Amino acid sequence: MRWFFLVLALAIVTFVVALGPRGAKFSDPPFELFPDMDRQYKFKSQKPSHFFEDGRASRKPVDGTIPMGYSAPLNKEDGVPTSALDFSYGEGYYNTGLFGDYFGSGYPEELTLDQALLERGKQRFQINCTPCHGESGNGQGIVSKYWLIPPTANLQSDLVKALPEGQLFWTITHGKGLMGPYKGTINVQDRWAIVAYLRALQKTSATTAAN
Amino acid sequence: MGNLFPRWTNLLPVKILVCLGALGTAVVALAWYSWTPKFTRVGYMPQQPIPFDHSVHAGQLGLDCRYCHTFVENSPHSNIPAAQVCWNCHGPGKVKSDSVKLEPLRQAMDTNSENYTGKPIPWVQVHETPDYAYFNHSVHVNRGVSCVECHGRVDEMPVVYHAKTLSMSFCLDCHRNVDEHLRPLDEVTNLAWEAKDEDANEFYAKIAGKGGKAEELKEADADKTWDEKLLGAHLQKSWNVNPPTDCAACHR
Repeated sequence: MRWFFLVLALAIVTFVVALGPRGAKFSDPPFELFPDMDRQYKFKSQKPSHFFEDGRASRKPVDGTIPMGYSAPLNKEDGVPTSALDFSYGEGYYNTGLFGDYFGSGYPEELTLDQALLERGKQRFQINCTPCHGESGNGQGIVSKYWLIPPTANLQSDLVKALPEGQLFWTITHGKGLMGPYKGTINVQDRWAIVAYLRALQKTSATTAAN
Repeated sequence: MGNLFPRWTNLLPVKILVCLGALGTAVVALAWYSWTPKFTRVGYMPQQPIPFDHSVHAGQLGLDCRYCHTFVENSPHSNIPAAQVCWNCHGPGKVKSDSVKLEPLRQAMDTNSENYTGKPIPWVQVHETPDYAYFNHSVHVNRGVSCVECHGRVDEMPVVYHAKTLSMSFCLDCHRNVDEHLRPLDEVTNLAWEAKDEDANEFYAKIAGKGGKAEELKEADADKTWDEKLLGAHLQKSWNVNPPTDCAACHR
C-alpha cells in the first residue's frame, strides 16, 4: 500500500510537470477529444481543401455568374481592364468613376449625399487612408514617421483638389504609383463616401487657412 | 483444514478500496485541471508563416483592426486579409520590402520573384470555434462588443495567442451579463478603451440625439460610479440588446 501511494504520487507529479500550468504558451494544435464533432467534413470560410485543385475551400465565382449583392461585371469597352477579380464592379459612372474614357466629376446619382455618408466616409478614411495620408490628408501619416519611402500624396494640395471626383474614385479603386488597389477591401458605396469626405476635408482646411 | 486466507488478507478489500479511491480522485482532479479550454486552448500560440507582429501594426502604428480584417462588420467570418492587403504596404519599394521574413508574401504576390507560386499565405488559425457552434462576428461588433472581449489585447501581442477560453461558459457568462461588455460603436476596435475615457456629457448628448431621455438618466446616474457596467446598461437599453441564451442560438 505504501508502494502504491508512492507510485501514485510519482505519477501525479510526472503528469503535472508534463502538463504544465494553465495558460502556458504552446504551439501544437490544441487537443480535441472528439475531433470529428469539432471539425466536421464541411467547408468553412478561408479554409484549405484537398478537394479542389488550388487547395482553397473558398471558390471564385463561376465564369459568367455574379454573386448575390454584386452588380454586373465590367466590360472591356469601358476602358478599365477586366480581370477575374473584377467581378464586383459593374458598369456606369457609379461603379467606375468614368464616363466612357474620361473621368467624371461630381457624384453619381445613385448616391445620397447626406450627413450619414460623410460620417461613413470619415470612418472609412480613418481606417484605410490615414496610415499613409494622415488624419488631415496632408500625406504625413504614421508610415512617414518611421520609414523613408517615397513621399505619399498630399491630398490637401491644389493638384488633388483639382482632380475630378471620378478620378479620386478610380484611384482608390485601382491604386496609383506605390498605392495599391483598394477595390478588394472597400466597397463601391464606401469609396464614394471617402471621396465625399475628402472633399469636405479639403474645404475645411482651405477655410481655416483663409481665416 | 487450515486457514485458506492468511490473517493479512482481512484488510485487503479495504486497502483495495482505498487505493482505487485515491486513484479515482487523482484522475478526476487531473482531468478537472487539464481537460478544459482554460488549459487546452488558452496560450495556443502557433508559429505563423510570416512572424506578423500585431503589437507593431495595431499597437505602435495604430492601424485600425478593420484595415486588414475588412469584412468583420459585414460577415459572420472575420477575414484574414488577402495577401494584396499586406502588399499595399510591403510591395516593392515600400516598407521593409526586402525583409527575409516577408518571403512567403513575395511567393504569393511578387510575379517577378523567382519563388513566385501565387498560392495564398498559409496563416494558422488561432481562434477556432467548433463546427457545431455558430458564431457571427458582425452581429457582435455592430452592437458594441469589442474585439478585445474575446481576443484579448491583440495590440500588445508580438505573436498572437489564444487569450480567452472561448468555452461555452465564456459565451454564456457574457450573454447573461451583457451590460458589462458593451461600449460605444466607435470604440469597438479601440482595444484600450475604458469607461473613464468616455466623456459623460457627450455620452448623454448621444443618447438624447437618439431620442433617449438623457436628462432623466443623468439625474438617476448622479450617485452611481461611471463605469463599464453603467454605460453598458444604457447602451443595452437604447439598442435593445437581448442576447439569446437558448441552445439553438449557437447550436443551430
